[in-house]
Amino acid sequence: MSEPILITGMGIVSAIGLNTAETAAALRTGRTGIRPLRYLHTAHSEFPVGEVQLSTDEMARRLGIPDGQPRTRTALMGMMALDQAIHQARLTAADIARAAFVSGTTVGGMDMSEQYYIDFLTNDLHNAYIAQHDCGACTESIADYAGSFASVSTLSTACSSAANAIVNGANVLSSGLHEIAVVGGSESLTKFHLNGFNSLMILDREACRPFDQTRAGLNLGEGAAYLVLETAASARRRGAKPLAVLEGYANACDAFHQTASSPDGQGAYLAMQQALADAHLSPADIDYVNAHGTATPNNDVSESQALKRLFGNNLPPVSSTKAFTGHTTSSSGSIEAVICLLALQQQFLPLNLGWQHQMPDGITPVTNSTPQRPLRHVLCNSFGFGGNDTSLVLGSFSAPPAEEATEVPALSGSALGHAKSEVYVAAATQISIQQGLSEAWMDTPILYDEPYVRSLDIDFKQWIAPSASRRMGKLLKRALSTSLSAMQSSGIAHPDAIITGTGLGCIENTELLLAHLCTEGEENCKPTPFMQSTHNTISSLIGISTHSHGYNATYAHKDASFDCALEDAWLQLQLGRVHTALVGGHDELTPTYFSLLCKAGYLGHPGQVAGESAVSIMFNTTPTPDALCRITRFERCYRPTTATLLQLATEVGPVDAVMTAVNPADIPVSAAPAAADLSHPSPLLEVATLFPDTPLLQFKNIFGESYTAYGLAIYATAHILHRQHVPKAMLIPDHGQPAALGRILVLNQSGGKDYTFTVLERYIHNS
Amino acid sequence: MKELILQLKNNIIQVLNLEDLTPADIDNDAPLFGEGLGLDSIDALELIVMMEKEYGIKLKNPAEGKEIFKSINVMAQYISDHRTK
Repeated sequence: MSEPILITGMGIVSAIGLNTAETAAALRTGRTGIRPLRYLHTAHSEFPVGEVQLSTDEMARRLGIPDGQPRTRTALMGMMALDQAIHQARLTAADIARAAFVSGTTVGGMDMSEQYYIDFLTNDLHNAYIAQHDCGACTESIADYAGSFASVSTLSTACSSAANAIVNGANVLSSGLHEIAVVGGSESLTKFHLNGFNSLMILDREACRPFDQTRAGLNLGEGAAYLVLETAASARRRGAKPLAVLEGYANACDAFHQTASSPDGQGAYLAMQQALADAHLSPADIDYVNAHGTATPNNDVSESQALKRLFGNNLPPVSSTKAFTGHTTSSSGSIEAVICLLALQQQFLPLNLGWQHQMPDGITPVTNSTPQRPLRHVLCNSFGFGGNDTSLVLGSFSAPPAEEATEVPALSGSALGHAKSEVYVAAATQISIQQGLSEAWMDTPILYDEPYVRSLDIDFKQWIAPSASRRMGKLLKRALSTSLSAMQSSGIAHPDAIITGTGLGCIENTELLLAHLCTEGEENCKPTPFMQSTHNTISSLIGISTHSHGYNATYAHKDASFDCALEDAWLQLQLGRVHTALVGGHDELTPTYFSLLCKAGYLGHPGQVAGESAVSIMFNTTPTPDALCRITRFERCYRPTTATLLQLATEVGPVDAVMTAVNPADIPVSAAPAAADLSHPSPLLEVATLFPDTPLLQFKNIFGESYTAYGLAIYATAHILHRQHVPKAMLIPDHGQPAALGRILVLNQSGGKDYTFTVLERYIHNS
Repeated sequence: MKELILQLKNNIIQVLNLEDLTPADIDNDAPLFGEGLGLDSIDALELIVMMEKEYGIKLKNPAEGKEIFKSINVMAQYISDHRTK
């Protein structure tokens, strides 16, 4: 890492306390938060859990959320933890307005969805909660409680989500995009994932015992934690007191199995080893490891092997704190990062509660909380389904750097996100409501009159062997086929990064499990629908199928899901952290979910075609002769003011055309642009005002509406620039026809609050 | 037993989505996991759910499955000895 990334604030809510003081006291006195179930309504009272000791209503009251306003437990816990972090860092409204917010969750609003699912299907009593189901809606609720962030993103990689949110926030700072990033995650207990984990037979009926020979599984927990990451320059300017330093970080993919870790812990080893390299530290510099240590038979063997491989005979003190908090799944990464920060600040070793019997093939965890040497550098592990393994290195602020950091020049024009490494589109392909794995839409697009169209599937057998595909739903097959096709076209078999955006993941599987829980009860839940309901099952499948051990991440942020994934790739490609990145946008739409999204007001508008998308785009930093185009600019902003939007539009500069995300229903058959009024504009009018005298294009009349439709817009624009041809159906009457096809801005306006600007430029290869 | 074996094979084909197979393709003595049918740990969990749902047999520990799911014959014998429905 180049510039140090400081931590200037933290907040935590979990089963062992509602703030850092209570958390530290519990850790230091060995007081567990694992108790019999109290707040979650489930038939499975046999499983002890780590619940936050407040009812959902009590949380809402503490936060001053009025009765009647939709609230989910995940969002409320997130608000409580975020509030603490912002207070400690003393962020003002103006500071928040220039900060990114990156939050991890997988559960999102599931606590209410599982309560109201039958109502969603049969009446209109609780329609307000349909939109709350989305992980992105949960993140927005948390963000909006604190203020007006510059950008908002949702990481969803199951149990490593919050750790990956920290990683993404660090990349945001390193790239110079923002100077402050508030990062972490929140996750409440639900019947849905309690039954899911039960179907995987990895829950213990007793208090869990990480790294103990008699361990029999994990206890689920819940909670939220956030960190304020800040550049040294910003902290200095604000007079903010650094609590610690984020010294290094890495994510690697085990590429082994959707729910199990490899016996040798390859992914865990890679994550730890690369995080140390990132921090310019050697294993001997690490004074404490907070292990993932779930207490499942599989994890603790695998992680032990990885630890032994990395540290050899000089293993530093290691403990898992999951016997305190339970496994807080998507929030565990930031909860355990806060625990590490408390250990660094107060110089103690968190105990490994419940350990008595040595595993023959395992590590021996901490048994004495007094450290033998000062804690200066600690390693924090978080591993998720699909072998999504992340390690963070946290250090005391006073710690002298182990060696001189190599100089990485800051990006020019820092806050504006100008390109450093050049970024090219090496290949782009799709399976959607147009002919799949083909650009036939450029000459003969299929135009639909129906409000809802399913994907035109291809013969998947040419890409996936039947034995491998038997558990895959349609979306997984589409996602894997487009990925393999993009890899083949680009000649990149193992991309450095695989990054997926998906609004809802494999919603067909989520529906199966929800329907089962609501109609048949909590018996006989099957593992496959649960496993595949997890948003990062898509990215993991691509990693596992192609043996790609690189960076692997998934964003689930409503109709900006692809945008978040693209931003992650853009930052890392520019920073040189990766040189090749496969970015996907994958969403399916079942008949049930179509009807729910109509009720929620997203779909079903006249003229709108709801579709499905599977789009895979390979980016690289060294162009090949077949490169389709390059990206020269990328910007995202959240709830921008009119002035911010106009300024961005000016900075992005003149372009030959703007590819808009407008709904065909919002395009008048013929109407000249009206006077500029951005207070309540139609989406089309808004673009026309931002980019006067610029030809406007549309793609949703061809590719339909889906949460990851923006990926299809990028795909389509890349091919338009490459072939220098715009299909007639994409022209918007009265909004001009491009005279040249050199630079096209692809603009996303989701829900009128989340905006993404991507400029694609024609590329001609000089050999 | 013959009837149970056929029913069991059909259940397995359906639960595990082995759509390219017919009952006749599954050898009664061949291993279900690893070699043979090539099933994996998630399949084992699916079979545990199937055992409870179809035959009322509750397995508490996934390790028990290893012995029981050795082959169709072993599985059928276990079911006929332990079934509660």
